[in-house]
Amino acid sequence: MSLFRFELRKLLLNKKTLFLLICLLILYSVVGLTSTMFLIGGNDSYRAYEEAATDWEGTFDSEKAAEAEKIYKEVSARYGTDARMIARSVKDQPEIILAVNYHAYAERVDEYWIGTPPESTDEPYGIALLQDKIAELERRGQRNSLEYREFSASLQRLEELGEPQFANTLLWENLFNNWGEHMMQFLLFVPLTFVIAPVFAMERSCGMDNLILSSRNGRRKIVTAKLLSVLVASTVVVMLYLTATFIFGFLPHGSFHGWDAAIQSIPTYAQSMFQFKVWQLAAIGAAWLIFTGAVYSLIICFISSRMKSRIGTAGVSLAVLFVNVALAAMGDTVTQRLGALVDFGLANVTMIKEVFGGYKAFNVFGMSVGYPVMAIFILGIFAILAVWGIYRGQKNRTV
Amino acid sequence: MELNFENITKSYKNKQVLKGISLTMGTGVYGLLGPNGAGKTTMIRIMADVLRPEKGSVTYNGNDIYAAGDEYRANIGYLPQDVSFYDDFTGRDYLEYSAALKGMEKKRAKERIGELARSVGLSDDLNKKCTAYSGGMQRRLGIAQALLDDPKILILDEPTSGLDPYERIKFRNIISAYAKDRLVLLSTHIVSDVEQIAAQIMMMEHGIIQHVKTCEEYIRMMEGRVWLVNMPAEQLVDYQNRAVISNVRAKDGCMVVRVIEDAKPDGGAVQAVPTLEDAYLYLFNYLPEKNGR
Repeated sequence: MSLFRFELRKLLLNKKTLFLLICLLILYSVVGLTSTMFLIGGNDSYRAYEEAATDWEGTFDSEKAAEAEKIYKEVSARYGTDARMIARSVKDQPEIILAVNYHAYAERVDEYWIGTPPESTDEPYGIALLQDKIAELERRGQRNSLEYREFSASLQRLEELGEPQFANTLLWENLFNNWGEHMMQFLLFVPLTFVIAPVFAMERSCGMDNLILSSRNGRRKIVTAKLLSVLVASTVVVMLYLTATFIFGFLPHGSFHGWDAAIQSIPTYAQSMFQFKVWQLAAIGAAWLIFTGAVYSLIICFISSRMKSRIGTAGVSLAVLFVNVALAAMGDTVTQRLGALVDFGLANVTMIKEVFGGYKAFNVFGMSVGYPVMAIFILGIFAILAVWGIYRGQKNRTV
Repeated sequence: MELNFENITKSYKNKQVLKGISLTMGTGVYGLLGPNGAGKTTMIRIMADVLRPEKGSVTYNGNDIYAAGDEYRANIGYLPQDVSFYDDFTGRDYLEYSAALKGMEKKRAKERIGELARSVGLSDDLNKKCTAYSGGMQRRLGIAQALLDDPKILILDEPTSGLDPYERIKFRNIISAYAKDRLVLLSTHIVSDVEQIAAQIMMMEHGIIQHVKTCEEYIRMMEGRVWLVNMPAEQLVDYQNRAVISNVRAKDGCMVVRVIEDAKPDGGAVQAVPTLEDAYLYLFNYLPEKNGR
């Protein structure tokens, strides 16, 4: 048997880890199931919503918007303006859910034309706002500035994308919430930490270091085998999460409706500048989580190679993760000050809505580089440094 | 074949464990004897490339072993003092994993595992979990692991601890047969293990190799220094505080005491035939006490 298969067995294909994976599968299935069930009442409610929504789908209709506005006002008078509160309160009333969703859509359409409020700290969005900003820069004679180029590109992209359309993407919204919120980081990255943590630390804690370090393949080939097994283990855990939340997110209502809508139909991705369909975002989101999970796993692997126990490794890895989450959760003033530290911290970079939900660009030597490209580059550097550190550490490691 | 230690020094925190060891080993069995804390395991770990010295160099056939890296380690079979196992590995898994670490071909590994399991008497137990093995079985599995790739340099740290007398004899026979054209370093507390098979015996204390001799030379050195003294049991407690005693045997209501002493002790002492164990006691107990007295 090759070293890789042994390493995979030690890390993943052993009784303890398989038991953990079964528990995770159950947990993820429950998460997928409950999130869908609390979205809207029973299957009948969803069917009614789907049927009613068919008439409302498509381009913006001011009459429907007015009707939705009227219903929304009544609902908000009763339940308040908090979207979650409203959603919980009217989950058995599909017509009201539809009206509330259409009202939110109408606001997004306004935002598309008028733009985000001037006090917003987000990247400038909206036709009129971008036109104003471009005109201002032109007045100042800054046509060659990076800002001018960015705004022009954004405006051009927005015009190409066109006004958002309304679509029934209720179940997909739920899926992207499961895949792209902070909860995912706890449900996915915390267990992943415990799966990967023993990779190197176990050799020290169980005393196998003597045998490994004195053998021909114990300083280089074993690292390759361990790294491959880490990537496989990481992919398996992420796939478990993605598959369980996907299947159990759609299963209760048996519908993939909205799969080919533009992602701008989903509230969280309304300001996205990417011309993706919903199914494409799902595929890219899955690939993104597998990629970021792999990079995080390599970082854990590096920590494990420097620690003497798996518990210590898990502790340090979780501390790294939680510090990132805490930084990302700070107020706008703090996150803006921390800049790239938050943008490329594990908390933000692992969330698809952060990476693909807007159009953030970075100035790299005068070039405007999009967030996903920069994130791949930065994470790639993290991964390379981790791998280099692991190989170097094992070469010089002693008992 | 030549393995050369040149002025090897190693410290842990502020304590110097190896103090400039210089030594050359060729083919044959080398015994390494010394009290606890002498630095035997540290020296062995440096030789097995799991520990690096602060100063000095170790060369194998003229090449620095750390520069040679994988190439050097391909020649090593190492049985550490504490053999460890993964919880869910069977004996076969452990040997197959060791074979993979040593870069052995699958077919050859399979053959060798079969041969060695028979040699160490584990053929029927290879499919049991290592953690279910007795201490002796774990040790035998460790020996099989060390011999797996037919190494040119075999490093054994306390190989016979936990083995019963028959297993120890079997182990000695395996090593004796194996040592031809190879270098075997055997570190142990059990003097009889090296007495039987080692061509050269190194006595180590305080991080220094004090003596390197053959067993016969040690025994010759002890001639006229080992005595049998008869005394009543009541005197023994007081006597053993003043002398280095290697053995006590009751005979005809009185004690026959085997004493290590440069000069003939009082009380009708007669000379005894010395052993390597006497030499060990003489070097590590008698001389330090005498010099301290």
